[in-house]
Order: sequence, then structure tokens, then C-alpha cells
Amino acid sequence: MKVGEVAQLLNLTKVTGRGSLEMEIKGGYTSDLLSNVMGQAKPGMIWVTMQGHHNVVAVASLLGLAAVIITGGTKIEADTITKADENELTVFSTNMSSYEVTGKLYALGIINRQ
Amino acid sequence: MKRFIGDFHVHTLLSPCAEVEMTPNHIVLRAVQNGINLLAVTDHNASGNVLAALEAGRKYGVTVLPGMEVECVEEAHIVTIFDTWGQLAQWQKIVTEARKSLPPNNANKFGGQFVVDAYDNFICEEKKMLLGACRLTAREVIDKSRALGALVFAAHIDRPSYSLLGQLGFIGEELTLDAVEISNLNVSELKEQKFRPLIGSLPYMTNSDGHNISDFIQGPKNFLEIKEPSVEEIRLALKGERDRKFKPGYFVGFNR
Repeated sequence: MKVGEVAQLLNLTKVTGRGSLEMEIKGGYTSDLLSNVMGQAKPGMIWVTMQGHHNVVAVASLLGLAAVIITGGTKIEADTITKADENELTVFSTNMSSYEVTGKLYALGIINRQ
Repeated sequence: MKRFIGDFHVHTLLSPCAEVEMTPNHIVLRAVQNGINLLAVTDHNASGNVLAALEAGRKYGVTVLPGMEVECVEEAHIVTIFDTWGQLAQWQKIVTEARKSLPPNNANKFGGQFVVDAYDNFICEEKKMLLGACRLTAREVIDKSRALGALVFAAHIDRPSYSLLGQLGFIGEELTLDAVEISNLNVSELKEQKFRPLIGSLPYMTNSDGHNISDFIQGPKNFLEIKEPSVEEIRLALKGERDRKFKPGYFVGFNR
């Protein structure tokens, strides 16, 4: 499933402008501990987090993630959005909790295959 | 230059997780007995025992710096240390405002939060929960406290919980910290290899983060050569400028 399709189905708010909505999502990861994400998330995954700090962008770009969903209505730092656009990373915002978003992604068939 | 054995991260019995033996009077008395002559009292998001600690410091001839360990919105602990009570009082106002709407403390579950005077007399119990994140981001905590004159360091970056490094994955240059604290320098080479690429050029500190007297005395300290015990001098020492020295990984009773 593509990033754009997921965004539409989950009614996510896109906060960035330059990232591709055409990327194919190859699984997902949910965590707010960035050091943990650096070690566990894989390229092409969609990342669900409550962390709005701009290091999120650095970690997502470094790993080549498909997109980031920032949950719980977390205030996203202006820097985060600027840096995401510089790195052509798509970032979404939602008022849903990480639990709900992760469950919905799973229900859409986005699961991690070995 | 004067020599100091400094511990910049010590909790009093106001922190729910600290033992009742951690009264300002007792901490300072035990500091004197063990050759520790520069202390910062740093309770979680609170400063209710700082005045008593300053008075105890004057009583025993130990320099006590007013401080606070703040939890930012990213759930990392950042220690802020000031020269004066007035600066800390201003900082406390900002932190308190950013912590409104937190639930009351459950003393049975988390521990009591006690305010005392410099002679171990009970004054009151803090009813609001002192643990928990405030609404300020890490950068806001750093920038706002520095604007009031604080020395700022990221606490225990090598621990699994409440570490700025753990929460953010790496520490970027926009976070204008004075240092990062690691729990122990005994495995310094390992930590150097592991952490150095993630923290930029920030210097290390080692403090006890004492929550009881035994950990306070046995925990790591820092050896300093500075002109006077002030934020500015400690900052110079951390940078190694103008012949000031700052050596982390100092233990009382072992190195002397």
C-alpha cells in the first residue's frame, strides 16, 4: 500500500510538502524512543510516534522510512517540518493515539514480514 | 586557582524517589566529612529544599549551588544549575507553569515529598506530583534556563530511562548544553567509543545522582580547578579554557 492511500484511509493531516506519497510501505514500527527506532526500524517502514522533535526527521531519513505519523495531537516543532521538507520526508499529524493508528495500519494489511 | 570536589546532581527528600535521610543538613554534613566542597541540589522539577541547603552550606562551609532536574516533553532529564536562589526562583515559575494540570502525588506508591529546614525540621509535604514531564521541549528547557544564567547538562545519558540520548537518538548541535552526564567513568573507553559520535563535542560530567547517602558518597564526583565556585567558572573548566580544569570520574576515598 502506498503512503498516499494510507493517509486518505486514516484521514491523516499532511504537515510537509515535498515528500513522495507514492512510496510503497513495507511494514511499520511504533516507538517514541529514537535510539530504539534507530536500531529496529527498517527501510520503507511507516513510523508511528508521539515525539515531535526534529531528530525524528534525521532518524527517519537515515533509515529511509516511507513516512512518519505523529500521533496524539502532539505539537510538531517548526524545525521538524522544515527539515522534513529538506529531506523530502512525508510527515503526518493525527489526533488518534499511537495505539489506534498502529491497529488501523495493521488492519490495512501493513504487517512486518521476515 | 582553588580545587573542588564537585557533585552537581544530588536529590533531597523532596524528590519522591529519594530517601528521607536526604535532608539538606545531612547531605551537606556528609559532604564535609568526605571532602566534597561543591554541591548542587537538584530535585525533580522542584526547589523547595534549596534554601535550606544553601543555609546548611553556609553553616558547614560547603558551596551549594541552587539547581533543579527538569523533565522535558520528550521525557528526558535535564539538570539546570544557577548561581543564585533568585535565578532558580524565576526558573521554578516557568517550570511550574509548564507542569500545570498534573495529578497529585500518590505518596504510598511513589514516596513522600518533604520540605524541611536547614536543621532537619519538617516544614510541609508537597502534594503535587513532582515526577513527570513538563510541556517544555528539550530545547526550550535549555534555552530558557540558560537565558536565566543556568549551567545545563543532560542527565545520565548512558541509562535506559529518561536519557536525552535515549529519547532523541542523538544530541544535535542546536541543543546548547554545557555537558552530558554519564553514570560512571570506569568503562570510559567503551563509552567514549559508543557515545562520542552521538553527542558531538560535549564534555562529560560524572555525578552521584544520589537518592540516598550511600549512593551520594560512593557515587562519582568531579575534580575541578577554578577561581571560584560559579556557573561561569564551571563552564570554563568544562571547556578546559584559561587553565581551568574539570576531571570527571573522581571518587572520594579512593583517589586521595
